[in-house]
Amino acid sequence: MTSPHLVFQSLVLGVLLGGLYALLAAGLTLYFGVMRVVMIAHSAFLILAAYLAWWFHDRTGIDPLLSLAVTVPLFFVAGVLMQRLLIRRLSPVTLTMMSVLLTFAIALVIEGLLGYVFSGTQRRVQLGYSGSSFEVLGARVAVVKLIAFGLAVVALLGLYLLLKRSRLGQALRATIQHRDAAALVGIDTDRVAGYGFGLGLATAAVGGTALALDSTIYPSLHWHWIGPLMAIIVVGGLGSVPGAAIAAMALGILQSLLQLEMGTTWAQTVFYVALFATLMVRPQGFFGGRLAQRF
Amino acid sequence: MRSASDPASLRAARWGLLAVAAALVFTFPVLAPNAYILSAGVVVANYAVLATSWNFMGGFTGYISLGHAAYFGLGAYGTGLLVTKADVPSFLALVLSGAIVAVLAVPIGIAALRVRGASFVIVSIALVLILLLVFQSWSSFTGGSNGLNVPRPFPDLLRPEHHLVFYYLFAGLLCLALLTWWAVDRSRFGMGLKAIREDEDKAQSLGVPTFLYKLVAFVVSATFTALGGGLYALWFGDLDPIFQFSILVGSYMVLMALLGGIRNLFGPLVGAVIVGSALEYFKLEFGDTQFHLVAAGLLLALVVLFMPDGVLPFIGDQLRRLGPGQSSIREVSAGELLEQNASRGDLPGQGDGVEGRAAPAPSEVTR
Amino acid sequence: MQSSRSRLRLAAGVGICALLMSACSAVDTASSDEADAGGEGTSDPITIGVSLPLTGDFSEPGKGVQRGYEAWVKIVNDSGGLLGRQVELKVLDDQSNADRVVADYESLIAQDKVDLVFGPFSTRLVVPSARVAKEYGMLFVEPAGAAAEVFEQGFDNLFYAAPAVANDHYNYLAEHILAMPEGERPKTVAYAAMDDPFAQGTAYGLKDKLEAGGIKTVADEVYPPNTTDFSSIAAKIADANADMLVGGSQYQDAVNLIVALQQLDYQPKMAAFSTAPTNPEFSKAIGDKTEGILSPTGYTTAADYPSNVEFVEKYTEQFGNPPSEDEANAYTTGQVVAAAVKAVGCAEQGDCQQKLIDWLRGNTVDTVVGPLSWDEAGRPQAAHLIQQYVDRKIQIVLPEDQKEADFLYPKPAW
Repeated sequence: MTSPHLVFQSLVLGVLLGGLYALLAAGLTLYFGVMRVVMIAHSAFLILAAYLAWWFHDRTGIDPLLSLAVTVPLFFVAGVLMQRLLIRRLSPVTLTMMSVLLTFAIALVIEGLLGYVFSGTQRRVQLGYSGSSFEVLGARVAVVKLIAFGLAVVALLGLYLLLKRSRLGQALRATIQHRDAAALVGIDTDRVAGYGFGLGLATAAVGGTALALDSTIYPSLHWHWIGPLMAIIVVGGLGSVPGAAIAAMALGILQSLLQLEMGTTWAQTVFYVALFATLMVRPQGFFGGRLAQRF
Repeated sequence: MRSASDPASLRAARWGLLAVAAALVFTFPVLAPNAYILSAGVVVANYAVLATSWNFMGGFTGYISLGHAAYFGLGAYGTGLLVTKADVPSFLALVLSGAIVAVLAVPIGIAALRVRGASFVIVSIALVLILLLVFQSWSSFTGGSNGLNVPRPFPDLLRPEHHLVFYYLFAGLLCLALLTWWAVDRSRFGMGLKAIREDEDKAQSLGVPTFLYKLVAFVVSATFTALGGGLYALWFGDLDPIFQFSILVGSYMVLMALLGGIRNLFGPLVGAVIVGSALEYFKLEFGDTQFHLVAAGLLLALVVLFMPDGVLPFIGDQLRRLGPGQSSIREVSAGELLEQNASRGDLPGQGDGVEGRAAPAPSEVTR
Repeated sequence: MQSSRSRLRLAAGVGICALLMSACSAVDTASSDEADAGGEGTSDPITIGVSLPLTGDFSEPGKGVQRGYEAWVKIVNDSGGLLGRQVELKVLDDQSNADRVVADYESLIAQDKVDLVFGPFSTRLVVPSARVAKEYGMLFVEPAGAAAEVFEQGFDNLFYAAPAVANDHYNYLAEHILAMPEGERPKTVAYAAMDDPFAQGTAYGLKDKLEAGGIKTVADEVYPPNTTDFSSIAAKIADANADMLVGGSQYQDAVNLIVALQQLDYQPKMAAFSTAPTNPEFSKAIGDKTEGILSPTGYTTAADYPSNVEFVEKYTEQFGNPPSEDEANAYTTGQVVAAAVKAVGCAEQGDCQQKLIDWLRGNTVDTVVGPLSWDEAGRPQAAHLIQQYVDRKIQIVLPEDQKEADFLYPKPAW
């Protein structure tokens, strides 16, 4: 029934989708790594960035990609401030639980404000090249999807290089691996955690702009994203950036392929099935190390 | 020991206040001027049942579930489907669906309780989202997005009378939940649960069967939530997956319990009254905007940041600071002590605090 | 132990305070109610309660319905009101939420004691709110619940103020296709419908008729209302490569699906979507590649019913652009209720409502969408027109006797 051509087309779509998932999951993993915080508001910031891109395009008519020049630094600062002013105030004993609630509250506020300012109307960026595509080995690849994928890949690569090559990256990795040990060797873990938050939110800015290129946005859309992203970081192993990226790609492709047989709604359940299966078989996730076992 | 804390007069005052409160609850329908206020009272009573049910898990064990809407929805749909598909009498269906959810909660609990902290929250959210998808997609059975219409248990009643009957039914269920909470609170089982809340590893090493205790608390919590959901289905009549399996409903339960105070018997009830009235107020004041979301978010953030123990202890602290009746025996949780120590000493104690609480014994993960 | 006791006492205390406060506020509203009810007289305005989704999933059409109601109120009041009384609208926001819509109508009827109610938007909200209205014995004319199940709930107070129920929207198109010569007409059809009773109703109504006429279904996709990524659905439809595409859509989902299909370079010979193409934003949203897209509509600004001429003129004056279908259906709702009120001579809660219901059961009302009458379940007994984008303008192409342009087939590439 399902033709090989269609399977290949879905595979291509799955890879393009998986790239975006990977970028966003990387951000979630960062927060968890540096602060043990499950950042429910991540996808709300994603939608916020998408709205800013749409609004920028709508007002100026300039390509929404250019809004990144504003949103990325803005979100970085917002992330640092959020860690400094809000997350750090929480009692360390109950940090994990309370931070979930606090970031949940932030998500509600963002959703409410978006609805208040932009109304609940669905928005979509209208570009001259929205419908354009080209053919690769018989599959059609939409230009906008490729741009979004490219953005995600560039951002992930940048993040990877930053973590591996820079001093800040070393400090971040040290903080993720063992906060107290990092503090003992003279790393200002608080400051580093703030930067970790900033970087995480910056991925949301990039992801949101990529999302806005080829998708409708509305204020409550973030609920739609948070579930799959949460599942991805658990499957990948909480705190492992490469693990999250691999899980994101795998689940993105799987979702795309399953849609062929099961339809869109049932295919979404793949994330949760993977989540429960992971907890049953390997609660620490498939790529997580020591860290994941403890949470 | 001053006269205010004299045990006998204290007990008398307490019973007196309880009696007045109970009397108010039971005369509310008479005071309600119209059917709309009465129906708002039913909604608040429903919230109170849900928040109190949530507190069996959240309050006793400290495991915060953002996904209790899952059991609310399962209870509602279970009742509705039993009535419509199997012609079971309404209230028998309610009890059966409570029992079904209790059975379902065992494997769910076993999966969810294998992990602590962050993963538990993620699982609880995922559960709501997966059930939403299933109930939307499986439309031949659940009615899908067309919704499910649950027939009224008393078709002859006029709408205001219908509200009246269900107000008392919800109040009855609330009493049952409160009594159970009270009984657990005083039991050895309750002590064990609270030990888990304060320090799960120490509790385990002292011989508390932590996993079993958590599971039982989880099942009880899910069952009461399901009963609340079932009663809601019989009262409201129209079920739609989007509204039954909503993360927002689950988060309201957390907000109410937390706002009132999760360590108090009446905390969730008070939280439900406050949040329920506030939601109605925001709706009236800012009706045509999304402002109610902002308000709910800000309220939750304020509670988390400034009153993590809830309003009741917060007000209690303020009063105690004013009044002379300082009691000689402190009741401080291990967590609070640790926190005090951490803030006093300038040690890099943050990381320690996190690990001290959340690091499970290896057996926990692999079980 | 003592501390826990004092906490308990405190808990009880605060609980009582909270209850007292809520009781007090309840008493307040009661007294203001009496004040309202006290001055009953013929010069009082007629208040009409309505709950609409001004925020949430259905906010876009919800606001359209609100504009239609407002236009109706203005036109009625400018011409002297109903029964000599001015008309006042009381609109609450239900946030596209069924719990809220029920609470809204309950408060409008029981607390605000409105004289009449109008329906909300969307089938999902119509069914629960119609039940509230029924239990209070209120007439319930609604502009939006077109799906079949609305009329299968045993409501005897409900009337749908539009020409036809969802499953009949494409009737003219089905007739037209089946009347085409065997060699020319589309042989295969792909269906994509939102998981929504109304949207699915339109697509499946056509599907049943075409399948009965021997036209093959090669794809049948259902997607949830919150879907934003249509690439997988589009891939399946493009792969099936059907001659004809039918979309059971609202607005944004149709735009997304069309863009996704363009990305996959799928070119059907005929494409029909419900609701979306009639939206004024539609042609901008899909980049002016609208030529040949079909859509059923219950309303056209060009219709020459006398009340419609007035409606289009005054609506355009008030809002700056001509009305579309949501606005027209809301206006029709107003017209239907007004006709009953004028004929029966009353507008208040109580026995009057049953008289209004009985009158509508047996009579025909002239509206902006033509003369309407209803069967015993409230289904309207007229038909939807079929529009098509011809020369970049949406024009009536079916039925033959009302057409503004010729039916364009096959559809040019998009």
